[in-house]
Amino acid sequence: MLETFDTIFSYFVAIYSTIVLSSYVAMAILAFLEHRKHYTYHDDAYTIDELKKSPYTPGISIVAPAYNEEKTVITNVKSLLSLDYPDFEVVIVNDGSKDKTLELLIENFDLVKVPYAYVEKIKTKPFRGLYKTKSDNPSFKRLTVVDKVNGGTKADASNAGINVLSNKFFVCTDVDCVLDQYALYRIIWPTMASTRRVIAVSATMRMSNGSIVEEGKMVDARPPHSLIPLFQDLEYTRSFLIGKTALARINALQNVSGGFGMFDREIAIKAGGYDGDSFAEDMDIVARMVRYMCDTGEDYRIVQIPETCCWTEGPSTLKVLSRQRTRWGRGLFQFYGVHRDMVGNRNYRRYGALTLTYVFFFELLAPVVELIGYLSVFWFFLRGAVNYHTIWIAFLGLYIFAQLLTMVIISYDNWVGTSFKKKTDYLWFVMASLLEPFLYHPLNTYFSLRGYWKHILGTQMVWGNMTRKGVQSAKPVGPKPTTLAPMQQPQQKKPDA
Amino acid sequence: MEYYTLSRYAYWKYYFLILYYKLEEYPESVRVWIVFGTICMLLLVLIVVGNACRTFAHYRFTRLIQHNYNNYFEKMKTVASQARTLEPGEITEILELPKNFKMKEKQNRSFVPTLLAVRRELGSSLSRTNWIRLTQALKMPAYFESQILSRSIRKKVQAFKDVADLDATLKEAVASRYIFAKNRKLQMHARLHQARFGTSYPFKVLEEDPNLVFTDEMVVKYHNVLVYRQKNGLTMPNFIRWCNRVPVNEELRIFAVNEIRLFRRKEDCAELLSMLIGSREEAFSCALIRALGELEYLPAEKEFCRRYLSASFTERQVLAEAIGALGSGNPEVVQFLEEDFLQTTDYVTRMVLLRVLYRYGDIGRKAYTRLREGATPELLPYFVHIECDLIDSRHYA
Repeated sequence: MLETFDTIFSYFVAIYSTIVLSSYVAMAILAFLEHRKHYTYHDDAYTIDELKKSPYTPGISIVAPAYNEEKTVITNVKSLLSLDYPDFEVVIVNDGSKDKTLELLIENFDLVKVPYAYVEKIKTKPFRGLYKTKSDNPSFKRLTVVDKVNGGTKADASNAGINVLSNKFFVCTDVDCVLDQYALYRIIWPTMASTRRVIAVSATMRMSNGSIVEEGKMVDARPPHSLIPLFQDLEYTRSFLIGKTALARINALQNVSGGFGMFDREIAIKAGGYDGDSFAEDMDIVARMVRYMCDTGEDYRIVQIPETCCWTEGPSTLKVLSRQRTRWGRGLFQFYGVHRDMVGNRNYRRYGALTLTYVFFFELLAPVVELIGYLSVFWFFLRGAVNYHTIWIAFLGLYIFAQLLTMVIISYDNWVGTSFKKKTDYLWFVMASLLEPFLYHPLNTYFSLRGYWKHILGTQMVWGNMTRKGVQSAKPVGPKPTTLAPMQQPQQKKPDA
Repeated sequence: MEYYTLSRYAYWKYYFLILYYKLEEYPESVRVWIVFGTICMLLLVLIVVGNACRTFAHYRFTRLIQHNYNNYFEKMKTVASQARTLEPGEITEILELPKNFKMKEKQNRSFVPTLLAVRRELGSSLSRTNWIRLTQALKMPAYFESQILSRSIRKKVQAFKDVADLDATLKEAVASRYIFAKNRKLQMHARLHQARFGTSYPFKVLEEDPNLVFTDEMVVKYHNVLVYRQKNGLTMPNFIRWCNRVPVNEELRIFAVNEIRLFRRKEDCAELLSMLIGSREEAFSCALIRALGELEYLPAEKEFCRRYLSASFTERQVLAEAIGALGSGNPEVVQFLEEDFLQTTDYVTRMVLLRVLYRYGDIGRKAYTRLREGATPELLPYFVHIECDLIDSRHYA
């Protein structure tokens, strides 16, 4: 009996890990093809120049919910207003902050309450008012502040923002995110270059911990120099440059990050906007939009762009990381409960048939399988049935594979135009990759399982405040970066490597 | 005892066999993992070495660009800003280029950013003839030609972009090879190049290609090309022919109408009106209405009113805007808008109508006041919204 179980278990582990490893290889290859296409046809400076000159460049609205952000809100709103793009508006949603977020905004941007005819296209907590500037400063004219009753989730606040915005496309971001000066040009371009309707665009995000940010602008992008954010930076880069790029290549991207992603406003509203109760609202809105497009039989595309457009401050303590990952775990579990009919359903094209099935087996169930794996090894150990030689050789093989994947990411990042000034910064990634399987991965598995458990128990969960260190206060280490010659400015042409 | 000297091949084979038989001794699972690990290790080493080489090459190339910038930027600026036409010999002298100067591909490529910087800095004060001669002195046209004729798609596409950015010269025959290329991006760049620099009538391909796909990217790029042509006094296309193209290309038709509007071609208005009378497609009709409104073509007002009641909400909004832009002061039109405000159920249309009436001179303002006085509490917020100068109600949606 035990032998039969052992055999079945061994085969299960072998098949499961073979599929996981093969999928990583397949995704790395698909991502390579996508990056090659991007490298062949895309020229940042040329695109920016063309869009700047054209009256056809579509307007973009930036929606950024703010809840108790008095420490950073002013600098970050100024940073958003200083973005380079011909036609954009910034909509800050004050989600019933208990601190002075709204007062500071009113004071600094010379705002007054205006009689805006608010129409609730998507249901939200009550709208209190809309503020516009009376100042003559042209950049302040782009700012709109919406004040509403606290809804408890970012989704509710984002929905209030969507209700008042006026452009065809909107970017959803967090008020603490640092955007690249040219991020809007980059994110709008795929919508224009595609022959199909692009309903969402996802852009690469990185950690801002360790970078030098002045006045809300990224001065020098560097990898975080403390372990927890560094692990996350590596994880984000891997996810964006391999996973999401590969899925976008086959038009099956499941998630447009809540930190920085662009959506088609009309489809977002028709799909019902963000789900106010969801803990994975970014994944949920994509599912809703895909559902809408597939149900109405319309053709669509969801695109991932490889350039880093946004930096966010990642959790720097274990406590905050635990809270964030537990919520993500719970969100994923909740998502599959809500959208279970889409899993493996060919009516929802590759998104439903392929991605959701894959994510279900190899992302949602992965922590559970891993836990079973740990328990089994322990059990085999008690029975004296562990073959140490095989375990070590298998571990070594997997470890080398993980390092290989990190080197692939570094190559891709370098290829698509790295944001790091010094190539030696990648050594931090290498270090994180060497330690990740021992330190970060087991923790993540634990946090995900905790999230699932909490969801099953139905524990009440509130959005925790992330303790921010405030990257903008970071002082440069060493000499301040000097002004570059015009040819080295961000608009520089990408030379052939 | 005899000694055998192994050949190089046999030597490798000997060690390979040792490894092979060693591996054979292990169980299957271990063998699989060893093979997997070895492949990963080899790839890892390959990628690390590749990355190092690429980084070094990039570093050297960046240095070359910087070197060219430091050495030639000012000299190039001097040449390009001269009002007097310089002889090629003089340009070579100013640039201090050696006699029998020859360029390699990499050197040419490294000159592109410096040339772009010069062009950007001089802007309109750049002397076109001297600029062309400068690029010729640096053998840039030959470089671009070789790039376009190379096998790499990236090089071809990049060369087309560089030629457009630098306003450099290129033989028309080189670009025309790719006008019907299978690769859509390459095809687009070749067509754009022809449209930008073509001397006769370079838009024929837009009018005749039955498989034309006209994306928003092309809309942006073709508009910029047309602005360039107008600025340089080159032949402009006949937009009406684009609208009447067979087979119909909806996107191209809309683009053509928008271009008539943006280039303010009032002489095409009568033709646009006749197209509007027969038009049923919403997007095309909206483009026509917007164009006629912005070009202030008064005879279109009657048709606007005729279409209004049978139109969709989107079209109604565009019609109302166009009627407002015409501003004929016709009391019947104002009454018509006023009545529709009371009847319509769509809040965006309602807002557009109010805004049009509010800005429609005295007669419109009177109608607006009448509506405000009779407004129900549900409608009152729209009036207050419109009256607030701080809100940009043009984009209310």
